[in-house]
Amino acid sequence: MATRVLIAEDEPHIVESLSFVLEREGFVVSAVLDGEAALRELRADAPHLLILDLMLPKMNGFEVLKAVKSDPVLASIPVIVLTAKGQAQDRRMVEDIGAEGFMTKPFSNREIAERVRALAAR
Amino acid sequence: MRRSPLIGATLRERRRALGITQAALAARLGISASYLNLIESDKRSIAGALLKRIADALGLTLAEIDGAAERRLAADLDELCGEPMLADLGLDSDGAQVMAGRHRAWGRALVRLHRAWMDRGQAVNALSDRLHQDPFLGDAVHSMLTQVTAIRSSAEILQSPQGLDAARRERFLGIVGEESARLADVARSLADFFDKDAAGTRSVTPADEVDDFIVDHENHFPALEHAAAEFRASATSDGDCSEVALAAYLRCEHGVEVVVRPAGALDPAQVRHLVGFDAASRTLLLAEDAVPATRRFELVRLALELHAQGRAVDEVLAGAAQLGSDAARRRARRALSSYLAAAVLLPYESFLEAAQGLRFDVDRLVQRFGASFEQVCHRLVTLRRADASGIPFALMRVDAAGFTSKRFPLPRLALPRHGPACPMWAVYQALHVPGTIVRQVVELPDGQRMLFVARTVEKSRPAFSLPRRLQSIMLACDALHADKTVYGAGLDLSSAGPAVPVGPSCRLCVRRDCVYRAEEPIVGR
Repeated sequence: MATRVLIAEDEPHIVESLSFVLEREGFVVSAVLDGEAALRELRADAPHLLILDLMLPKMNGFEVLKAVKSDPVLASIPVIVLTAKGQAQDRRMVEDIGAEGFMTKPFSNREIAERVRALAAR
Repeated sequence: MRRSPLIGATLRERRRALGITQAALAARLGISASYLNLIESDKRSIAGALLKRIADALGLTLAEIDGAAERRLAADLDELCGEPMLADLGLDSDGAQVMAGRHRAWGRALVRLHRAWMDRGQAVNALSDRLHQDPFLGDAVHSMLTQVTAIRSSAEILQSPQGLDAARRERFLGIVGEESARLADVARSLADFFDKDAAGTRSVTPADEVDDFIVDHENHFPALEHAAAEFRASATSDGDCSEVALAAYLRCEHGVEVVVRPAGALDPAQVRHLVGFDAASRTLLLAEDAVPATRRFELVRLALELHAQGRAVDEVLAGAAQLGSDAARRRARRALSSYLAAAVLLPYESFLEAAQGLRFDVDRLVQRFGASFEQVCHRLVTLRRADASGIPFALMRVDAAGFTSKRFPLPRLALPRHGPACPMWAVYQALHVPGTIVRQVVELPDGQRMLFVARTVEKSRPAFSLPRRLQSIMLACDALHADKTVYGAGLDLSSAGPAVPVGPSCRLCVRRDCVYRAEEPIVGR
């Protein structure tokens, strides 16, 4: 069965290129553009892995991450957090909340594909 | 009307400056030259009509002539006595009066320069803080990194054409073009921003230097935690840090007698801290109005100093290159010795465990550890050990005049170095309801949400007739951590919930429409 990845990112061009790269790797990719939609999608159809931007509209990535990690059904979904500012503090905070991966923008396609592959294989 | 003792000298100086002889002025006023001489020698006092006539004849205002202006100038000059940078010059109020009376223009020049210097310092600090937390800069950096990410990702796809048909190729080329154009826009607006703003700088006073030093260490000093554990293991019986046990330790091990006396018996320089140690007679004097938590704290501080001669603190200070001045090093020594004492009385592991178990309920931690409200709050801020940390808290302490006497900021919450923070902050609201916990969910201009928890503490006052000594202490943490505390209970902590729209301080705040604004922002956009 193909591994399903949900991308929560409000920047459409990043969603587009990331989807292309991951689909080329054989993953099934869907995407949402804000935090509330991410939680809705996670609860409706839990993916195998979540790629989560921190600066999301409606509900920021910290809140989504916290909701995921404190929900017994969703907590086991590995989360890769993407961030573009305040890197050191953000990293510490998302690690405290329980994210499995952390990538700072601008990341390379190879890096993120490798990270997704590694976490999906766990 | 109070008469200045130097009124005669003022008149003489002015008359001479105008090139008028004593005889000529006396004739114009209709008095004898010898009487004028007595007035100018301060041997006769004058007031009323004659004073007004002399003032008119010499082109002086009454305020200038009767000494009111001079007293104001002397008071302004007096402010310089309290300037830490000038502390070693032995400036005093008497000198300020002489300066104001004899060298008025020089006195005014000094006051004017001092004020300009203070204004510059504040502007530089405000700009520096503004650059660190400006939402515009944060957003600009975020946009640039986002655009670079899209460009990089698309470029990499174009470089490895596997699975790339002609339409997709066009699409990713289009993304590179669009994002490059947006990146250029952001870069241009950043260039405009820096065209308007001056650059920031580092600390200016010893207090700032020490603050920066402690913040650079995330408020946590592993070497002092080790020293505290070593003291508990070797110098106490099963960690017994009661007042009785500590006094016994000081007497038996170091020959120090602990004596409790009225605060008036202390050296004036020691009154503020309610404690004084006389090394010669090996006596520790404690003020009788020091509360038990303070007495215990000071006993531990001295016990630690005598136990290891302050080696642990010295070692930390040896690595502190950023403490440039002697004053800063003295201040840092006291701050670190307080840290060490707190680490003994509130041991890291057991305090952290209790704090988490009691959901950071400060009042209950006070009861459990017999420490003061302020000691508990301060210790919570230091729980930053990488492998066992508490909640990242900021702390600030202010008095009723708005003076900030303690500040431990967070990376996401700058606290003002000088001058007040935002008047809406709980730390000020708490002063309206002494002794009551005030909690607040706030939203900063960049959307960041925090939980503020503040309460006043009251220090003893020397006499009934003197004002109360209230200080307000505030803990602040990211709203994401609020649900781990008792103070978050019942609050809507989501980003959609209600929050008080605050800023850092009026000078730095971008909320143009705030009715609480007291000052114009330092940088306009």
